[in-house]
Amino acid sequence: MDVKNKFLPFILPIIILIVWYLITEQLHLIPYYVLPSPVDVLSAAYKIIINGSLLKNTVDTLIKVFLGIGLASLIAIPLGIVLGWSRTLERFCSLIISILRPVPPIAWIPFAILWFGIGLSSAVFVIFLGCVFTVLVYTIDGVRRTDKVLVESAQTLGASDWDVLTKVIWPSSIPYIVSGLKVGVSIGLMCTISSEMIASTSGLGYMILTASQLFDPGTTVIGILVIGVIGIAFDFVFRRIQERIFW
Amino acid sequence: MSIDVNNVSKSFITKDKDFTAVKDINLHVDDGEFICLLGPSGCGKTTLLRMIGGLETPDSGEIYADGNLVEGPSKDRGFIFQQYSLFPWLNVLDNVTFGLNITENDKKEENIQAAERYLDRVGLSDFKYSYPHELSGGMKQRVAIVRSLLNHTPILLMDEPFSAVDMQNRHSLQEQLLGVWKRFETTIVFVTHDVDEAVFLADKIVIMDKNPGRIQQIVEVDLPRIRKRDSKEFLDLLEYVESLLGVWED
Repeated sequence: MDVKNKFLPFILPIIILIVWYLITEQLHLIPYYVLPSPVDVLSAAYKIIINGSLLKNTVDTLIKVFLGIGLASLIAIPLGIVLGWSRTLERFCSLIISILRPVPPIAWIPFAILWFGIGLSSAVFVIFLGCVFTVLVYTIDGVRRTDKVLVESAQTLGASDWDVLTKVIWPSSIPYIVSGLKVGVSIGLMCTISSEMIASTSGLGYMILTASQLFDPGTTVIGILVIGVIGIAFDFVFRRIQERIFW
Repeated sequence: MSIDVNNVSKSFITKDKDFTAVKDINLHVDDGEFICLLGPSGCGKTTLLRMIGGLETPDSGEIYADGNLVEGPSKDRGFIFQQYSLFPWLNVLDNVTFGLNITENDKKEENIQAAERYLDRVGLSDFKYSYPHELSGGMKQRVAIVRSLLNHTPILLMDEPFSAVDMQNRHSLQEQLLGVWKRFETTIVFVTHDVDEAVFLADKIVIMDKNPGRIQQIVEVDLPRIRKRDSKEFLDLLEYVESLLGVWED
């Protein structure tokens, strides 16, 4: 039963791989430039691993994701704590947040290019916009959901407002902030790929787009797979962190 | 530390109307006295306790602790809540030293030693590294009491702290509380709706009436401690207090 469960998720990908191999490499039902065969993908992978461009582009993408999410956290977490704390300030900012939040970050690309040019900063700007509102809203929610009894307990134990903020509200919001970061990172990854396709000269998004223009669909497939693996890795890390936060 | 409540009234504005929680309350609690506030739900006993704790502000009237006007929560008025109030991200040891680590931040080592002594005394030393979610309800409340006592609180305000604990454990918690009260000479104001609990614990039972909440009568309890629940005097007093409550239990 245990073994069966362990291998169950791998069965479907193997079937897809076999069918894919058969219809491309064996039966030649689909031409190379529409769908490359697994063999084409492997040879493309071999080429870009050897010449180092896969590693370089992956690292480039990850750097942008981390910069974007880091910058967003730096702004969104403190701001979220302040807005969660003060109803008045939250009301003051609520309309602008509700208007900007649903805008797909890609819509900012024209301004990103105008303000930051093509390259790292404009990609980071787009990723920042993609996750800042998510982290902000989750942080506000976390502060709001702090149990009033815990705040009052701390106050009757001699805690000042600052103590309440740092020793009660902050730890009690952490689970929500981590959830916000988890969602934010996946949005950030999507933004990174899209902005690399439009406003960048490096990264996996750029690699995918260039490969398709050079009739190299094998590299495109590798790019897609690596993005998927990065997604799984982030998910794994966040799940580990969330397991450690038991409250 | 003594407590004085002078002409205190408090209403809450709800959706449909103003609700008068307590009206014209006057009460004096002597230093080291054990007072029970007893009454039906809605009589404002919790509101009165929260105002003494500085967690609510009276609409009119004043409250003094040791002659000083109460203007907000303070570590001199420890509060035990009906709901569990331990910090879920801290283990028992860190929970009970929470207050000390704020007020006496420079003596972390001594704080831990003091905490270990107290936990030992209430039989919780095996649980000092446990987290609140690993403790039973009664244990959580004992930890909460230790947390306040460790903070050298001269007044302990308790809002139905044992109401969620089963009867057998409740009786043993009540006895432990009396031991603590005697040893630390703490002034205790204890809210309950359980007549047996009030008669067992209190020097004075303050019986409250509802709509609006006010003090109906104060019953002095002269029986020696630890009180025997099956003694005639205890049962007579229990019946007497119940008859007073019966007036508004229609």
